[in-house]
Amino acid sequence: MNRPIIRYILGQVLKIEGVLMLLPCLVALIYREKNGYYFLMTAFLCMALGFFMTIRKPKNNVFYLKEGCVTTTLSWAFLSFFGAIPFWACGEIPSLTDALFETVSGFTTTGASILNNVETLSHCSLFWRSFTHWIGGMGVLVFLLAVIPMTGGSHMNLMRAESPGPSVGKLVPKIKSTARILYLIYFGLTVIECILLLFGGMPLFDSLTTSFGTAGTGGFGIKNSSIGDYSPYIQWVVTIFMILFGVNFNAYYLILFRQFKKALCMEEVRYYLLVILTTIIIVCIDIRNCYDSMAEVIRHAAFQVGSIITTTGFSTTDFGIWPQTSKTILVMLMFIGACAGSTGGGIKVSRFVVLFKTVMKELDSYIHPKSIKKIKMDGKAVEHEVVRSINVYFITFVTVFTLSLLIISFNGHDLETNFTAVAATINNIGPGLSLVGPTQNFQFFSNLSKYVLIIDMLAGRLELFPLLIFFHPAVWQDLFKNKSGKKHSS
Amino acid sequence: MFQSKNTTHRGLNIIIVGYGKVGSALIEQLSQEGHDITLIDTNSEKIQAATNLYDIMGITGNGASYSVQMEAGVEGADLLIAVTASDELNLLCCTIARRVADCAAIARVRTPDYSNEVGYLRDKLGLAMIINPELEAAKEASRILAMPTALEVNPFAHGQAEMINYKVPEGSILDGLAIMDLSRRVKCNILICAVEREKEVHIPSGTFTIQAGDVISFVASRKTARKFMQEIGVNTHKVKDTLIIGGGKASYYLANQLLLMGVNVKIIEINRKRCEELSILLPKAIIINGDGTDEELLSEEGIENVESFVPLTGIDEENIMLTLHAKQVSKAKIITKINRINFKNVIDQLDLGSLIYPRYITSEAIIAYVRAKKDSMDSNIETLYHLFDHRAEAIEFRVDEKSDVTNISLAELPLKKNLLIAFINRNGTIIIPSGNDCIKVGDTVMVVTTHTGFHDIRDILR
Repeated sequence: MNRPIIRYILGQVLKIEGVLMLLPCLVALIYREKNGYYFLMTAFLCMALGFFMTIRKPKNNVFYLKEGCVTTTLSWAFLSFFGAIPFWACGEIPSLTDALFETVSGFTTTGASILNNVETLSHCSLFWRSFTHWIGGMGVLVFLLAVIPMTGGSHMNLMRAESPGPSVGKLVPKIKSTARILYLIYFGLTVIECILLLFGGMPLFDSLTTSFGTAGTGGFGIKNSSIGDYSPYIQWVVTIFMILFGVNFNAYYLILFRQFKKALCMEEVRYYLLVILTTIIIVCIDIRNCYDSMAEVIRHAAFQVGSIITTTGFSTTDFGIWPQTSKTILVMLMFIGACAGSTGGGIKVSRFVVLFKTVMKELDSYIHPKSIKKIKMDGKAVEHEVVRSINVYFITFVTVFTLSLLIISFNGHDLETNFTAVAATINNIGPGLSLVGPTQNFQFFSNLSKYVLIIDMLAGRLELFPLLIFFHPAVWQDLFKNKSGKKHSS
Repeated sequence: MFQSKNTTHRGLNIIIVGYGKVGSALIEQLSQEGHDITLIDTNSEKIQAATNLYDIMGITGNGASYSVQMEAGVEGADLLIAVTASDELNLLCCTIARRVADCAAIARVRTPDYSNEVGYLRDKLGLAMIINPELEAAKEASRILAMPTALEVNPFAHGQAEMINYKVPEGSILDGLAIMDLSRRVKCNILICAVEREKEVHIPSGTFTIQAGDVISFVASRKTARKFMQEIGVNTHKVKDTLIIGGGKASYYLANQLLLMGVNVKIIEINRKRCEELSILLPKAIIINGDGTDEELLSEEGIENVESFVPLTGIDEENIMLTLHAKQVSKAKIITKINRINFKNVIDQLDLGSLIYPRYITSEAIIAYVRAKKDSMDSNIETLYHLFDHRAEAIEFRVDEKSDVTNISLAELPLKKNLLIAFINRNGTIIIPSGNDCIKVGDTVMVVTTHTGFHDIRDILR
């Protein structure tokens, strides 16, 4: 294991976090809030630590997939820990566990909160909370790849570990350009949304934080009612942008280069939009009696469906009081999630498409036992390796899910709460049902349960394996065991 | 359109078809020089391996197919290089790329059937370059055999100047000689432009002292080079006979070259049918049907007395074993062909003498072309060689336009460190420059440097 390069990249990540943390300081300056000092101090702490960690450049720049996974997991752990310090230090979230939960929930774009009343938070804390969504949405390592000059092709392993989706491809030959294009699209869409929200009469601060929450498909609101109290225009803008951010970013790249036909032919995006449309219609029919006008029914249905399938987790209404069918559909949507290569979480539409096709293939093989058929996606054969990894992913997902559910159940809450709490965190959504519904929060869980949920959030964001590999004994041995041996030699 | 504007600082968009030995050498070099590379290969596992190793994009498919080329972005590409195993496929790839996107194309064509028609093919198909690694390797081998004391002979200025690598033996008059005293001892106009000592490459100044065991690399016009070698007491006669093991394409080309030079050639080849083919192609050569790795056979065919020995089998390990064996039993000049570059450190330690890497010969030619293409405003790269394992480069620039480097005496030019102007070729005369000479428009200038990535003559300035 190439430890120097891991240290070096972690240092760079910290430096970036330090710089990004200056933004809430700026907010504090504008609103004249004393809490800004805590952010400033943490920012300097991060920068200083990062500076010392990157003083010596590693000689050996090569790293393999395992290094990529370990670096990614550690980066996210570091990010979350240092991101939590200001919340805890300024006393707005007195318990460190809670602060950590809130920050992890932010970076992983979950949006599950432990706060009873978010409106009491200072502006700089609110800003940082939402901004973590934006950082975590596209990924900090992807950002690192876009800005830090690095040589060698092995950095693809970093991107592979951080980016969601069964197989990560490049848009252009160079990884740096790919990362830049992704961030450019991301940034552009965020700005457009922010401007549209401003047009709707939303204050600048609100539209910035809401845009961050939408872009990263996070879901931290700055109001207790989430988006519920804003005008219908704003709710529609947020709905549309949530759905847009759940689309595979490759599609935007193709559109940017005027290859509309190719973009429209992306199978995953088509299925994604199809699922959204069908569920909206079903939910509309189901909740038609809950609201006064049809317009309201459609608006709430579209918003909640968009919010859940893209794993954002904003809400305009308490869907906990909706009829059972609608609630069940929303829970199902939680697992489907957004497209691969988007900022959303969940199991991903493309995985489900492949899984569904695998099942169809299996059925076919009962009718024609000797038939040979390759699973295709976008007109191209899907490699056996990819199919296998998707199957394993699904099984692992179920296993992690079940284990978490078991541990959470010791708290003694009802199954609906526990089930949706785990589903909402592992899929990076935010609100669940019952006690963790959109108007509730996660405060009441025990610390153990909170840590389990923190791990679930990270596992969901990093797509399980980079996190799980970190717990593999061989990795631990590599990371720590022969450290003493090395010291002797040097 | 906007791609060409970006090329100066962003590198070229290059599509490489085929990930074999040459393909991987090219990718390694070109991605280091900052070009955007897309690789096409039919084998998805190879693509996977390549994308893990280098910062490139990989596409699985047939490189000659229109749709695959479109997917690889041939429309915006500056160059397509086809280096698959099949000559015909390479030519087809290039032809399609030319027709579809009008991008420059380079094909590898190595079958002897086409080797005489290369010029015609290139012109008719509108290709930028056709490369033949086997032929180039054979040419290099024949150059070395023409001067068997040299480790390596590289031609510059269309063969008028040569750069020769020579290992200084114990007791040579060069041993212990400072470079500035050289012209007093030896009355030849040569320039020592690089010295390798204990794995370090030095661009020597006047005070540098040569020691036995150094590999010196000097530049001179063709005639003076031979005169110099005689002056320092080295035999410069070309070899009288050669024993070649293996009857592949490279062997055919080498035998052909050597026979033209009047060298007796003996080829040992294991496949009877191939032997028959060779005997038709090379009527003057002696073709032996047998196993070249058989010690008895080698003795029988006189390995002890042969003046040069060239193992050219397709298997590196066999070539190396044969070289080691020949070193033990005879005093012959040996040239070893290495196809792969795995375990390069081990190979270097074995002290095998002259080595030929066909894949490097090919990639050097292509990289010279790519660098010239990247910035072909006022100068052009004519030739490029990597010296001492890529640790130094010898580049020949053609100076087409006035610039900061022209018409100023070399002593006054603010040159970079570790850089040397080895010769100036003015209208066919090779000038070994002193401080008073200057570069003029129309010259070709050869630069030796440990810096990498020069693509313009102005890069020599600080």
